[in-house]
Amino acid sequence: MAAEKKGFVDIEPKVFEDEYVKPVHKVGFWTCLGISVAMFVPPLLLYLIYGVFAPWEAIGAGMALALTYAVPFFFIEPISYYPVYGDAGNYMSMTTGNVSNLRLPCAAVAQAVAGVPEGTRKGAAIAAIGIAVSVLAGVTGVFIGSLTGGWITAQFPGWLTEAFKQYLLPAVWGAVFGQFALRGPVYALPALIIAGIPLMLGLKAYFTIPIAVFGTILLGWALYKWRNIAPSEGGD
Amino acid sequence: MDWKVVANAPWIWIAGFIQAGIGIFQAWYFLRLGSRILEKHGGYTRKDIGAIARGALITAIGPILAEIFVMMALVIAISAGYTWQREGVGVGSVFTELVQASNSAIGAGQEFGTDSFNMVGFATAVFVANISCIGWSLGAALFTPYLGKARERIARGDIRFLAVITVCSTLGIFGYYAANEMKKGGGKLVAVIAGAVISAFLFKLADWIKRPRLKEWALGIAMFAAMYIAHLFAGAS
Repeated sequence: MAAEKKGFVDIEPKVFEDEYVKPVHKVGFWTCLGISVAMFVPPLLLYLIYGVFAPWEAIGAGMALALTYAVPFFFIEPISYYPVYGDAGNYMSMTTGNVSNLRLPCAAVAQAVAGVPEGTRKGAAIAAIGIAVSVLAGVTGVFIGSLTGGWITAQFPGWLTEAFKQYLLPAVWGAVFGQFALRGPVYALPALIIAGIPLMLGLKAYFTIPIAVFGTILLGWALYKWRNIAPSEGGD
Repeated sequence: MDWKVVANAPWIWIAGFIQAGIGIFQAWYFLRLGSRILEKHGGYTRKDIGAIARGALITAIGPILAEIFVMMALVIAISAGYTWQREGVGVGSVFTELVQASNSAIGAGQEFGTDSFNMVGFATAVFVANISCIGWSLGAALFTPYLGKARERIARGDIRFLAVITVCSTLGIFGYYAANEMKKGGGKLVAVIAGAVISAFLFKLADWIKRPRLKEWALGIAMFAAMYIAHLFAGAS
């Protein structure tokens, strides 16, 4: 069902701003603030019910280790992913996680199904729908998975469970890459090379991801500016 | 008090429900808002929106199943309740959670996964895992509007250039993840290549045979097929 016919017309900017962007920021702000506060609930309940609170020096040492790993991603992830999924996508992704393996593929398929050009206002609303569906499905799946413990996994043959653990993620990366390689074949190989070089040099992910994203954008900008090359209109 | 019992008591399930409730409300609200603007001002019908949602749902099945499989490590290592609380609307992947638990244990002078790990280690893990990921949600609350403004300033409303930015950043992100797996060789290399070829072929095929509905299935089929091909290759080599 490609909803977009020939001659793409986007939603009026003023209407989009008033009826979509403003409520997105309002609800996005409060829900993200809410989830940040809700993160204090587990340690608080543990203290109130059982009287157990971790010693501060353990927290200090644990937090230092955890933040060394996490802090670069606080900045890199939203900046790198934002052009793909927009405002609502950013609020949802930063609330629920699993961005590259779940949110982005769902946003990409949603836009492909609609046949909408990338970077448009309609595209942002469609990506939001795709991501919202993935959140609702994900929460349900994790709940059932946790509740049933090992029961679900025990229903699958061992080789399949192993195949999921080993190969599903590489398959997801390849599949989304393949989809977008069609949208911009000229960028595909350079994107792999731009990411591959820092990887070969053994740079950390928080250096390599921005190099890959902004390096490819820079290439796209150069090709657009000097050769007038851009992805064809209408999502594949 | 056995930390394993506490780790699966109602309090942690309730904490998980509170977080999941916020996440579900947020997703439901954006789903409704997006559908409404597209129907009212974008020329989309209910049926079009249904197709978009169906495509996303089909695509979500594989990654969610994979998450559930990997999640079992967390269920076994800590508890089902902790897994629900951390993964329901958790920012961290299962791998991150295990790293965080190990880091917390080190902070408490213990070793995660051994008998030395006790209630103190668990309480540290609960604190560290939850509080350390506030950076993502708080960052989104405070800075999302500026991300949009920055992009507008860079593209200056040029729709073709916005498409360049979007396609290039997607290829950059997935190029990184793909290259990272390809480097490992073997079945993982095969999974990446097969995923890319099958997905590109299916999206093209949908246009050739004029069956746009195939696009709803394209990524989902590509993921499963590539995973299976990688499994066969690894078994054969």
